[in-house]
This record gives sequence, structure tokens and C-alpha cells, in this order.
Amino acid sequence: MLEALEGSQAIARAVALCRPQVVAAYPITPQTHIVENISKLVADGRLDTQLVSVESEFSAASVVLGAAAAGSRAYTASSSQGILLMAEVLYNIAGLRLPMVLTCANRALGAPINIWNDHQDSMAVRDSGWIQLHCADNQEAVDTTIQAFRISEATDLPVMVCMDGFVLTHTLETIEMPDHKVVDKFLPPFKFARALDPRNPISLGTLVGPEYFSEIRHAQHKAMTDALETIVEVDRLWEKASGRACGGLFTVEGPADAKVGVLAMGSVVSTFREAMAELPSRKKAKLINLRAFRPFPAAALMAACEGLTDIVVVDRALSPGWGGILGGEVKAVLADMKKPPRVHNVALGLGGRDVPLEAWTAVVAEAKEPAGFRILDLEPAKLEPSDL
Amino acid sequence: MPVTMTKGAFAKAGTSLAFKTGTWRSARPVHVHAAAPCHRACPAGEDQQAWLARMQEGRPREAWESLVAANPLPAVTGRVCPHPCESACNRGKLDAPIAIHALERWLGDEAIRNGWTYPIPTGQPRKERVAVVGAGPAGLSAAYHLVRRHYNVVLFDSMPEAGGLLRSAIPPTRLPRDVLDKELSRLLALGIEFRPRTALGRDVSLDELRNEFDAVFLGVGAGKSRHWDVDGAVPADLHEGLHLLKEWLQVGALPMPKAVAIHGGGNTAVDLARVMKRAGVPEVHLITASGLPGPDTEPDDVLNVVPREFEQAVEEGVKFYPHRTINRLIMRGSKVVGVEMVRLKKLPGANGRKTRVAFEGTETVLHVDMVVPAIGEVVDPAGVEALLHGKDYFPADRFGRLDGQAGIFVGGDARAWVKGYPNGTVTAAVGDGRRAAEAIDAFLSGRAPVEEERPPIPYEALNLAYYEPSTRIELPTLALERRNDSDEIEGGPTAAQAAAEADRCFSCGNCLACDNCWTLCPDNAVIKTVETASDGSHYVFDLEYCKGCGLCAHECPCGFIAMEAEAE
Amino acid sequence: MTETTDLRAKQPRFRGLEAGHRACQGCGEALAARLVTEAAGPDVILTNATGCLEVFSTAWPQSAWRVPWLHSLFENSAAIASGVEAALKAQGRRTKVIAQGGDGGTFDIGFQALSGMLERMHNVLYVCYDNEAYMNTGIQRSSSTPHAAMTTTSPPGKARMGKRHMKKDLLSIIAAHHIPYAASASVAYPQDLRRKVRRAMEIDGPTFLLVHSPCPLGWGHDGTLTIEVARLAVQTGLFPLVELERGEVASVMPLRRPVPVAEYLQRQTRFRHLFADGDHRAREEREHLQALADYNIERYGLMGDGDDPFDSEGADTIRRGGPART
Ligand SMILES: Cc1cc2nc3c(=O)[nH]c(=O)nc-3n(C[C@H](O)[C@H](O)[C@H](O)COP(=O)(O)OP(=O)(O)OC[C@H]3O[C@@H](n4cnc5c(N)ncnc54)[C@H](O)[C@@H]3O)c2cc1C
Ligand SMILES: Cc1ncc(C[n+]2csc(CCOP(=O)(O)OP(=O)(O)O)c2C)c(N)n1
Ligand code: SF4
Ligand code: SF4
Ligand code: SF4
Ligand code: SF4
Ligand SMILES: [Mg+2]
Repeated sequence: MLEALEGSQAIARAVALCRPQVVAAYPITPQTHIVENISKLVADGRLDTQLVSVESEFSAASVVLGAAAAGSRAYTASSSQGILLMAEVLYNIAGLRLPMVLTCANRALGAPINIWNDHQDSMAVRDSGWIQLHCADNQEAVDTTIQAFRISEATDLPVMVCMDGFVLTHTLETIEMPDHKVVDKFLPPFKFARALDPRNPISLGTLVGPEYFSEIRHAQHKAMTDALETIVEVDRLWEKASGRACGGLFTVEGPADAKVGVLAMGSVVSTFREAMAELPSRKKAKLINLRAFRPFPAAALMAACEGLTDIVVVDRALSPGWGGILGGEVKAVLADMKKPPRVHNVALGLGGRDVPLEAWTAVVAEAKEPAGFRILDLEPAKLEPSDL
Repeated sequence: MPVTMTKGAFAKAGTSLAFKTGTWRSARPVHVHAAAPCHRACPAGEDQQAWLARMQEGRPREAWESLVAANPLPAVTGRVCPHPCESACNRGKLDAPIAIHALERWLGDEAIRNGWTYPIPTGQPRKERVAVVGAGPAGLSAAYHLVRRHYNVVLFDSMPEAGGLLRSAIPPTRLPRDVLDKELSRLLALGIEFRPRTALGRDVSLDELRNEFDAVFLGVGAGKSRHWDVDGAVPADLHEGLHLLKEWLQVGALPMPKAVAIHGGGNTAVDLARVMKRAGVPEVHLITASGLPGPDTEPDDVLNVVPREFEQAVEEGVKFYPHRTINRLIMRGSKVVGVEMVRLKKLPGANGRKTRVAFEGTETVLHVDMVVPAIGEVVDPAGVEALLHGKDYFPADRFGRLDGQAGIFVGGDARAWVKGYPNGTVTAAVGDGRRAAEAIDAFLSGRAPVEEERPPIPYEALNLAYYEPSTRIELPTLALERRNDSDEIEGGPTAAQAAAEADRCFSCGNCLACDNCWTLCPDNAVIKTVETASDGSHYVFDLEYCKGCGLCAHECPCGFIAMEAEAE
Repeated sequence: MTETTDLRAKQPRFRGLEAGHRACQGCGEALAARLVTEAAGPDVILTNATGCLEVFSTAWPQSAWRVPWLHSLFENSAAIASGVEAALKAQGRRTKVIAQGGDGGTFDIGFQALSGMLERMHNVLYVCYDNEAYMNTGIQRSSSTPHAAMTTTSPPGKARMGKRHMKKDLLSIIAAHHIPYAASASVAYPQDLRRKVRRAMEIDGPTFLLVHSPCPLGWGHDGTLTIEVARLAVQTGLFPLVELERGEVASVMPLRRPVPVAEYLQRQTRFRHLFADGDHRAREEREHLQALADYNIERYGLMGDGDDPFDSEGADTIRRGGPART
């Protein structure tokens, strides 16, 4: 059924369809509406879950950690400072190989404090061992959320569904909300083999010394790389169930013979899609919409970049002193190609700066510039002379 | 180790058992089975700790059975023993010693009341025959322990009935005769062949016994009064104390002077004094070289009776003159009209040995019309001259073995004093009989006799945090005006009192199954067992895991656990 | 398979913490944890903050726990316990959750998570093993470290006499949460401790137990003396054993005869500087600690009137066959 829903509301509804047994969250803009909507669903008796209104994101993450360990389907959501306050726990959840889903309503990190969208928060925990899936629009966010539980429970890896704060979370879109029956069939009740249970008392969270640590880490790394296949498979199964796919690991859109590629994640992809359709273009370019940032689909991406002379990687975050984080990773991956394209890296839309349709033209034009990194939408006039 | 369970590095329950922390240990806990001080102090060799433990478990019959494994006469000794066990009792250092004698007596009386029979260990009957001469406590004990070892025993006594001084001298106010009779008849019914009215030296000779028997035990006591005079002077109508007592017991006759001075510091002197006082002699004076029971009196200088006997004697009106001796008899003709006393004390001389030193200028006079010496007895040499060699007592060792007289054993009052094994009491005689039985068994089996040698566990080795202070039971005594010449003066405890008193016992040196070690070991290295472990306790140290912290040893209330250094 | 393996399997009491753990000799915390699990029984799920207990009990691939156990971080034992409890509720399971932490994980870094758990009324028993410092990281002061005690971050010297600040009065803060039940206990009184665990287990709601657990290494006493030291802490009044119902003092373990604090201090090298010859500050701090004990005695009304079977001297007494009072 098609409904006009705010992104946060849609996510809350999608989460409810997945019947999480424990939800814990702490409010932070722009995630707040998700929590509020879930709370309302619970209050209205439309979602039967243990909603734990914790005193911090740190505890929110800890609560879902405990809940998952005890064998319950668990969900949380956060943003920005909240993600960082969770950081220690996020590493823990992944290291413990606990399945669960977290929605990251992507937002910039302070200081300076800024409540608007970029990807600095999820990037800050990219090495935590969580699967990170990015969504270009709210329909994808809804579908990815449902898929995320399935992926997570199939791999014993936690999944972070990244959706841009405000741009997606606070935007009204027409959404096809899946039917309860469809979701129930797609996502059977959670059964956790390592659940805490007095009848089979195991210890979770042990101390591992140097003699075994590498092996444990290797196992975790392998599970992550193996998850690439699961992500594709689950997307395919969801397509079968709902008629909609989200593009597996990434999608390649636009003219097949284009020599220039643009790689981006999140809501800018929707902006670029629209620009490709609407702006009269002088130069042909393909759009690569990267959905799976972790695990990183290195081999598939190399294959997809075959024949490109230039690729412009659009970052929504930045590692000061280094440059774009995604750009750096793409460049490292493509370096293994026989004829790698030149990698251009731009950051744009930091801290919620508007990304207009015209940005697409500027991004494609970047392919003619020397390789390297810059903030594309920087306005030098606003800088102090010494910062120039 | 193959890498499994890598998903989140989980581990399975209790798998740490694969990690043997026992290798960290530099000392290991061991159960020490130290002797309780009461046990070590008991001349009869009873293990009070052991039988008190059975009492604490609410099993009085087993307590009695444990007791009579050493001493067959608890109803007797529970009444007359001066109980050195109580003096040694560790509990005395906290509040008051366990009233062991009262519990012993209670068990003895319970056994009589319920008709309990001696448990005799199973074993092969022995064909050897042993002659026991003298049916006093020494002889009775020897006979009993020999029967427990399945020997054929013939018991001789010159008197018509068994009991020795128990029957002939100890007043029934302290040892009722029905108690004595019941305890002795149970003993004699064990299969001992008793030949009364058969005196060694008169009816049977030592050589005959030697020929007829494989071993001979002499428990003939000390039946002859020590010679007494004061600078050569002796009253014409001299009667010595033991004789008077025996006569009173046998025929009920007692002299009735106006004032009597009894000279001596032992049971005979005190018993006679009390008997005479209660019989109506107006003034009874007791002159003794010893000190009176009290905190300042040294143990080797104190009146040789149970303190409560002394107290009761004072109550009854006997006047005591401690640290004094008779310096001179004041005579009118051959009749005594008074005695001159002088103060003295036992003091170490030049050679270090204590001798009595009289203090000139402290002479005082007592007006009395009778003087009775009660300064002790020596062995009557008739029939045993060949063994005595003119000495007062047989020079036997602690096992009763006489030098150069293989097969002859001595015990009780008849043996000379051996360091660490004083005699002169019923329990000492019982202990002598028990050790002699072991020596006889060893002799007949061609081995060396053995005896308990474990040192007693000191008070400091206990952990007193775990014991509540508690008051010792008070026993009923007959009111002064109701005392006569036959009714027992001191009563026994009730069953409830006995149980409560037994509960006060610390269980020194022996596990009381308090669970402390089991509860408090941080390493679960103490395992509780349902069946008793090989050492009789219910706890086993699991040395695979014990780290040797010593906590269990420190928290064991009764000192049953000690830490022993591991060999390098 | 040895003789003891067989006997071990037949132990008459359930023990949640098995042998083979790697705690120091005489570790009070290991003992406390075992006593707690013993009283709680097998139908529990434990969580654990980072600290000695966690480290010594679970060196992978082994674990000393016989009950399901979850460790995550230093500061979130209460929060993961909340999550476990929420999950159990969601699943309709009645298993009790016990959260565990050291004093560092409870008084300090996990304080907020604990407060949140109590406020949300989770059905969790939180047990703090109070060994009065961060032991796992090598004896650093915590807010539970007693005044004047030496730790590696509160060393005595010319300018300082050990820890400057007072031991945090955590129990009062817990009391302010108005939870159904909170209590302090000590390894020196295992019967009392187990009773308190059982009491807390019965309650459907948040409960809290502070267990004084000497650390031979950190306090500087022989492992042999763990219980004795713990007992003296109670008997001096320095560590009062109290029970709070809805924040109100409901009962205390009375002191039969308060022991002078010097008896307690003397046995531990963490207070050694308080016995330095010729240092007037030593005497002053000893008096200070005595005053703190006296304050506790007055505040909680610890002075008993006459011998009481459950007072500081009666409560741990034994008889043949086991503890005198259970
Ligand atoms: C008045 C009095 C009160 C006492 N009170 C106590 C007391 O309260 N507590 C205590 O512990 N001790 C007491 N004693 C001491 C105690 O009675 C003796 O130490 C104990 O009886 C010694 O036992 P025995 O077997 O060695 O000798 P005895 O008891 O003297 O027994 C020796 C036996 O050998 C027999 N006998 C002797 N010669 C021969 C022979 N030639 N042939 C055959 N038989 C012979 C005797 O008839 C006698 O039956 C008391 C002693 C007296 C005199
Ligand atoms: C966030 C964080 N900070 C610091 C540490 C280091 N750390 C681990 S355990 C510990 C101290 C534990 O002290 P306590 O909670 O009292 O437990 P104990 O070891 O004394 O039993 C510290 C500081 C950590 N693991 N995590
Ligand atoms: S307390 Fe008991 S075991 Fe210890 S000496 Fe006294 S009677 Fe013997
Ligand atoms: S308490 Fe346990 S570890 Fe320590 S010595 Fe005793 S048995 Fe060994
Ligand atoms: S602590 Fe208790 S149970 Fe253990 S050995 Fe000592 S007396 Fe026996
Ligand atoms: S350092 Fe202390 S708390 Fe830690 S294991 Fe050792 S004794 Fe136990
Ligand atoms: Mg600590």
C-alpha cells in the first residue's frame, strides 16, 4: 500500500514489521522522530516490544547487546554524538558477534556542534565490525531495514542502516509499506544458537590473549567478507517477496559506455539520479550507488570500474589531514586493477550544506581536474585569509 | 588446542577445570588430627573430643562406646576423677572448661540405666592366659582391655568383692555403691574369671602364677600405711587415716574425739575429715604441707583432691591449715592434748629440687585430743618381696614393665612414679591397666608396645571467632543440712544440660564438620563428601586446584587444617 | 579422571563459579562471587563488568562459570543486564538476572548505567564486589577506596597521606533510588551474605548488594587473612552491614564489641604509613579513621545491647555439622 510518510515514521513502521523484542534508544536529532514514532506504536499497542528508555546511548547500545545475547531480536537507533557515545559498545557487539539492527540517522560530529547531515558519525565507527548499508531514499531505507534483520541473523553480524538525517528522516515521501504477512514470511522469529540460557550455560565476552586473538579477529573478518554474498542474496529474496530490490552491494546507473564514473552513498545518490534525468548533460557519466560500505565490495567494484578512465568519489565526511574516507578506500581498491581509472575525491554537503541538482554537473566536471581531494562546495570568500 | 568457538569467543561452562591451579601452590593444606588437650591430659587415655563429638551429634550411646574404648568405668571416674582434662581444656582459656566429668558421669549413668553393653572389637580368640592380681581400678582396667583383645583373664583379689579402694575407702557420699556395683558387674560379666578371697603370697604364689599364666599383671595397690611419727613420738592410740575410713565403711565405727588433727593432704585426709565432721566431731583440723586450691597456688603444691571436695569440706566446717606441718606432739602421758604446728613451704634447694623448708618462729599450737596421720600408703610387700627389693613401690615403666622381669607387669598405686605418668588416682590406675594390656599384648605377640604420642593442639591454634561464649553447667549439690553418711552429695546433669554442655566443646584439633573450609575456599578446592573420606572427615582437598592460600587453615575453628610446605 | 573429579560432580551445593579460575591466592572477590552464585542457584544469567573477576574467570577458551555469563565492558554491566532482563521479559522467561561489577565498575565508571537500571526498575540484582580499588589494572584508587589508604594513584608521601577523599557513600545514593531492597554484606559472614542474596532474588525489581571482598594483593595482607580482615572491617564499624528497604534502614548487624580500627589497619600494608614512627600525621589519620568508624556506628545505630546471635560475633559462629545460624 502506498502511503505518504515521513522517513522516521516509515522506519518506525518498518522496524515494527520486524517484530523486535527489545528496543532501546536515546533521543538525538535527527534520530528523535524514529524513537518517538516507535514509542507511539508501542503506546498504541501496535508494537509489542520491551521498549527500554535508557539514560544514554551508551546504555542503549548496552541494552540491545544484552538483549541480543539473551536471544532477542533487538533494535536501536542513533546519530552523531550518540553513535560516538556508543562506539565502545558497538565494537563490543560486533566482537561478540551479536545480531541486531541499528539505524544511523547520519549527522555531522561536533565540534563545532552541528545537527545536520553528513556521514562523519558512521564513518567514525566504520572499523567497529558492523555491516554498514547506505540508503539513497526512504523506500530503500524501509526495505533495507527489513533486510538488515535477515542479514544480521544469517551472519551473526550487527547491521547499521545508514540514512541521511533530515534529508531522509524528516522528509515526506510516498512509501510502499510491505504487508505484515510478507515480512513475517521473509523474517522468521529469531533463534540464536549462543543465547544465554541456564540450560546451556555458556560464557560470552571472555578474555582472549595473544595466543588466540588473531584467530578470533580473522574469523570476524572472514564473516564480514562472506557477508557480501549474504547481502546480495537477501536483497534478491526480498525482491522475490516484495517486488523491490535495493541494489545488492551497489548499483551502476547511467550510460553504459561512459568513461567517467561518479561513486556516492546516501541521499546524494537520489539528487544525482534526478540530475541525470533532468539536467541537459554535456558529458556522459555513470553513477555508482554504493550501498554496502562495510563489508566493502572490493572485487565487484573493480569489475564495475572496468573501462573507466576517471572516477569521482563523493564523500560526505572527511578525515582531517587525509581527505575523503570513501575516496581513499576506493582509490586503494582500484589500484589493484590492471588499468585503474584516475580517482578524484570530493567532499560535499558537510554539516548539512545543501546539495543542489547542479552539484552533479560540478562533480562530473571534477573528472577533468587533477586527481586528489578537495571540498567541492567550499566557499572561499567565507574563509579567513590565513585559512586560504 | 584447536581453535573452536571462535564466534564471539564464547566458552563452555566450567571448562576452567582444565586449568590446574594446583601448580601455583607452595604449601598444601593437610588435615592434622592433632590431639585435643583434654585427651592428652586424661590419665585413662579417653578421647574426650571424640566422645563429645558424638554427644554433639546427639548420639549418646556412641559417645559412651567411644569413651569405654579407653575407660570401662565412666560412672565411677565421672564422680571421683580430679579431671586433669578439664584443667587442660582449651575452653578454660575462653570462659570455663567443658564440665567433662559431669558428662562422663552422665554417660556412665545412662549406660547403667539403659543396660548398654561394652562393644568388644571383633578379633581372633587368643589362647594365652593372663593373671591379673588385684581387682581395684588398675586390675579391672587391665582385665577389661585384655578381654577386648580376646585374652583369657583370671582376676585375683584378696577381698571378697572387686573394687579395691573404690569400695573399701571412697565414701559412698561421693561414689554410691549401687553405681559401683552396676558398673563392676557389667565389667566382670565380660567373661573374666574372678577369684575373690585369693591373696597373692597367701593363697597363691608368684611362681605359681608365672607357671600357670603367660603373663601376670600386678594391680595390688598400696595397702600398707607409711610409717608416721613426730621426732620419734607416737600417740599410744594411734590410728592411721585409711584404716579408720575402711573400718567406718565396713562396720560403721568411727572414733568421736572433741577435736582431731588430721595430718595429710590427699583424699584420705579430706574424706576422713569430712566423714568425722559430718559424724559430729566438733572440731576437725586438717594440717597439710600443701597449699589450698586457688589461682596463686602452683599445681605441684596444691592439695591433692578435686577442688570441689575441698570447697565442700570447708562448707561442712573442716578447718584447713595449709603450708604447715606438725612440729611436736604435746602429750599428757601417752595421750595427745595438742600439736605444735610450724609453717613451711616447698622451695627449690641448691640442686634445684624442691624440698620443704620450715620457718622458725611461726610455731602455733592446736588443742586436740586426737591426731590421725593420713600421709599415704606403700605397697604391702607380702608375697612380692622378690620384685620390690625393699622399695616402697614397683619400679615399672609407663607400660608397667619391670626391669628384668619379662612377663610381669605392674600398674596403679603399686607402681613407682614415672615422669609424665603420675599415679594415685582411679583414672591413672585405669590408664595403667590399659597401657599394661597393650604391653602384655605386645609381649605375647613379640612386638613393641605403642601409645598415642600426638602433641596436644594449643589454644592459639584455634580460631575463636567462630565460638560463642557460653556458661558452664552448674551441678546440683545436696544442701549442707541434708548431707549424711550415705546420700550422694553431688548430682549429675540432666540430659538437656548434658547436651548443652557437650555443645560447648571446641572439638580441638579435630574436624567438627562446620563447613568453613568448604564454604570459604576461594578456589573450590575443598570438596565435601557424603561418605566419610579416608581420614574420617567429610572434606577432601582437591590439590589439582588448591593454590595453597592457607585461608581454610586460618578459618578452621578447631585447628584441624595445617599448611605444609611443598617439596621443591 | 581423578577421585576428586568424581567427588566434585557430587557436591551438595550448586556452585556457579568453578575451580581453575586464575584469581590470586585467597582472593576475596572470587570467594564472594562463588557465594553469591551459590545462593542464587543455577537459574540465573550473570553479567559482569570488566575487572579482576571477569579476567580471572574467563581466559578463553575456558570459563569458570557454570551459569550463563555475559561480559561486555567496564562501565555497562548494569545496562547489559537491563537488556538481558528486557529480553527475558519479552520471551516470557522467569530467569533472574544478576549484574556484577567491581567497585570501579560500580561506584565510578558504571555508576550512571547502574542508576539508570535502578530507576527503570529492572528485575535485576546488582552485586558490587567492593575491594576498594581498581585491582585489575594494578591497584589504583577508586571512589570506594577508604580515606588514607595507599594505592598506586594515592601514594603516601611528604605532601599526602594516601587517599585524600572519603569512601563514597554509595549505599545512600542507592537508597535514594527508592528501590525495594539494598544491603551490604561481607565475605566474612557467608550465612548473612547468602541470606541477603536469597532475599534479593525473591524480589521482583531492582536490588543491590555491596559485598566487602578483601584483595590480598591490593590491601597488602596474606591470602590466609582474607576472612579475618573482612571480619575486622565489620567489627570495627568501618564497613557496616545494613539492609535497606525502599531506602530506609531496615536492619543492621549489631556490633557486640567494636574493635579499635588499628586492629584492622595494622594487618594491611595499604595502611602501613599510618603506623610510621614519629610522623604526627600517622596518628592523626588513624584517629580520623577511628572517627569515621564511630560515625558509622552512631549513624546506623550499630551498637548492640547485649549478646545477639546475629551480631558481629554471633553471626559467623559454628557448631558441629555447620554454621550455628542459617
Ligand atoms: C580415701 C580415699 C579416697 C580416694 N579418693 C579418690 C578420688 O576421689 N579420686 C581418685 O581418682 N582417686 C582417689 N583415691 C585413690 C584411688 O582410690 C587409688 O589411686 C586407686 O584406687 C588405685 O587403684 P589400684 O587398682 O592401683 O589399687 P587399689 O584400688 O588399692 O586396688 C588394689 C586391689 O588389690 C587387692 N590386693 C592387694 N594386695 C593383694 C594381694 N596380695 N593379693 C590379692 N589381691 C590383693 C586389694 O584388695 C584391692 O582390691 C582415693 C583413695 C583413698 C584412700
Ligand atoms: C573504559 C575503560 N576504562 C578503563 C579500563 C581499564 N580497567 C579495566 S578493569 C579496571 C579496574 C577495575 O576495577 P574494579 O571495578 O574495582 O574491579 P576489580 O578489578 O578491583 O575487581 C580498569 C580501570 C577499561 N577496561 N575500560
Ligand atoms: S574444648 Fe573440648 S576438645 Fe577442647 S580441650 Fe576442652 S573438652 Fe577437649
Ligand atoms: S582455602 Fe582452598 S586454595 Fe586455599 S589453601 Fe585451603 S584448599 Fe587450598
Ligand atoms: S574448617 Fe570446619 S569443616 Fe573444615 S576441617 Fe575445619 S572443622 Fe572441619
Ligand atoms: S588482584 Fe585482588 S581482586 Fe584481583 S584476583 Fe588478585 S586478589 Fe582478587
Ligand atoms: Mg575493585
